[in-house]
Amino acid sequence: MRTVQSGASLHDATVVLDDRVILRAVNVVVGPGLTLVRGPNGSGKTTLLRALAGLVPLARGDRRLAGDVLYIGHRPMLLRGLSARENLEFFARFRGGDTRAIDGALRAWGVGEDMDRPVERLSAGERRRASLARVEAERVQVLLLDEPFADLDEAGAVRLRQTIARARDDGRSVVVATHAHPELDDLAKAWIALDDGDATAA
Amino acid sequence: MIALYRIALVAARELRAERRQPDGVVAAVTFIAVLVLLESLVVGPQIARDADVASALFWLALAFATILATMRSFDRELEDDALEGLVALPGGRDALFGGKVLALAMVLVLVATVGGILSLVLLDLPVALPVHLIVVVLLGVLALPPIVIVDVVLALRLRARAALVPILALPVLVPQLVAATRGTSAALSGDAVGALSWAGLLFAFSVVYTVIGLTIVPAAIE
Amino acid sequence: MTDTTISRGTPYWMPRIRPWLGIAAAASFVVASVMALFWAPTDAVQGNVYRILYVHVPLAWLAYLAFVVVFLASIGWLWTRNAVFDAIAVASAEIGVLFTGLFLVAGSIWAKPTWGVWWTWEPRLVTTAVMFVMYVGYLLLRGLSTDFSRRATRAAVFGIIAVIDVPIVHLSVLWANSLHQLPTVLRAAGSPALDSSMLLTLMVSLFAYTLIYAYFMSARVSLEVARQVRLWTT
Repeated sequence: MRTVQSGASLHDATVVLDDRVILRAVNVVVGPGLTLVRGPNGSGKTTLLRALAGLVPLARGDRRLAGDVLYIGHRPMLLRGLSARENLEFFARFRGGDTRAIDGALRAWGVGEDMDRPVERLSAGERRRASLARVEAERVQVLLLDEPFADLDEAGAVRLRQTIARARDDGRSVVVATHAHPELDDLAKAWIALDDGDATAA
Repeated sequence: MIALYRIALVAARELRAERRQPDGVVAAVTFIAVLVLLESLVVGPQIARDADVASALFWLALAFATILATMRSFDRELEDDALEGLVALPGGRDALFGGKVLALAMVLVLVATVGGILSLVLLDLPVALPVHLIVVVLLGVLALPPIVIVDVVLALRLRARAALVPILALPVLVPQLVAATRGTSAALSGDAVGALSWAGLLFAFSVVYTVIGLTIVPAAIE
Repeated sequence: MTDTTISRGTPYWMPRIRPWLGIAAAASFVVASVMALFWAPTDAVQGNVYRILYVHVPLAWLAYLAFVVVFLASIGWLWTRNAVFDAIAVASAEIGVLFTGLFLVAGSIWAKPTWGVWWTWEPRLVTTAVMFVMYVGYLLLRGLSTDFSRRATRAAVFGIIAVIDVPIVHLSVLWANSLHQLPTVLRAAGSPALDSSMLLTLMVSLFAYTLIYAYFMSARVSLEVARQVRLWTT
């Protein structure tokens, strides 16, 4: 038995979606530090993260978790009609945490001016920034980020790299699925290569 | 306690979004208003004023309005995967159903009030027992959302879901619609005992189906 | 989360007993039909028309039996994630919708000479009609879902809710009617008092139709399990 550390793992996990095997008997253990998930389109990166987050049913195998999970998919997952701030406040309150860090996080991500506008009036990049601000606002131990660089401009990409580095240094478990962005490589502690549903640690 | 707090948070989130973008309310209110207007045109003002006919059409319209508002609410959740953001939270799956029931019941109170007042005014319905009427309508409004929400969740992301949801929901809603219609008709025509017994039944229905929904819906969300 | 269990195929004895089950079902159906048509006495009030009872009552029994099997299999799937329960549920629903449809047709045929109308709002008929629509909805929901486990789960949830709803539908229709006083002839709907040879014929019919249900089930479940095996091995 390992000591209690933040992390998530899949054991012999098979995921079948729309009658296709997306992940085949995958064994993945994610611990503190940055883990990069790489693989071509359609190799199962998104499904791997969703399986770690408990968002897809496992046909076989099981999932273990130490600590809460923050999953940010490739859509920003913010409810329209609410502002960025209200969305983040909802998430933080739902976790039973406080909402003090939200304003600062949104400002740091450059959506300080617009944080009270309904999210449907923000650009795709601003929505992405607002959803990434959750990393700082919710302080959750396990972070699962699916293609987080999508929609970000260069400044945003730099900011994201800093955020990931800081989360790693805080001992949080960070998993990033991306098919590119070699600039994360020197931060990473582990790699998972996905090929057509088969995972290999690299 | 924490479960109730989370349900309240989901309901508050829903109501806030609905207030900013009242698509669900607008669709439902317009629908029920059009139906009340058409009713008296189509069946003639004399028959439309019949307590049974007016109540039956009111509740059928409200059932469809519930389906409209619920589907609208989940459409909003599907934009930008907001639903996923909620479900990915610890306890999110469990809070979803309760929060939606609470929020939609409140939305429907508004819809039912507008639709009810319109019916009373346009059809010039005599109300024998106004307090009983309000009780029946309130309890009827509480009885509709649990089933409709379950069925909308079951049809989520399926093609042809706009057709599927009424097919799934309406047969299951038969007891609620019968009870609400009879209760309303009883309150309109002055049968206090009838109105109250149907109201009691409606209350029992909402409790039963809310409990079933709370138990079973988390399993249905993936 | 529990693993999804896929059976490796139907048990070896299933294909072996199926022909015998079929023969038994066919034989008892012949016996029941002969008894119903020639042996059972003519009813004093309704004459020969009443003989449709020997079809109508077993169909009603099967309609409800099939629905309860859907309910139990749905619980089984949600509880154990064993795919065979989903096969049982879909098989029973399809057979159930057939028998429920036949029940409604037989009811109409019976209603015309007895009451002079094709359809009456007699509570049992209404409940069964609502149940028929639920079955159709259940099969539609299955047909529109693409993914195996999502389909099984969603169908199971609807199956459970629908079955819990059926008695409530019946009670609500019953209460609504009792307040409105249906004409008494309609409420006397069901069965005329049966003498012992009528009762025996009815029992044999029930037995025969249950065997038919079992035969259909064994065939349909095997087919579904074979599909699952093919799906999960490719």
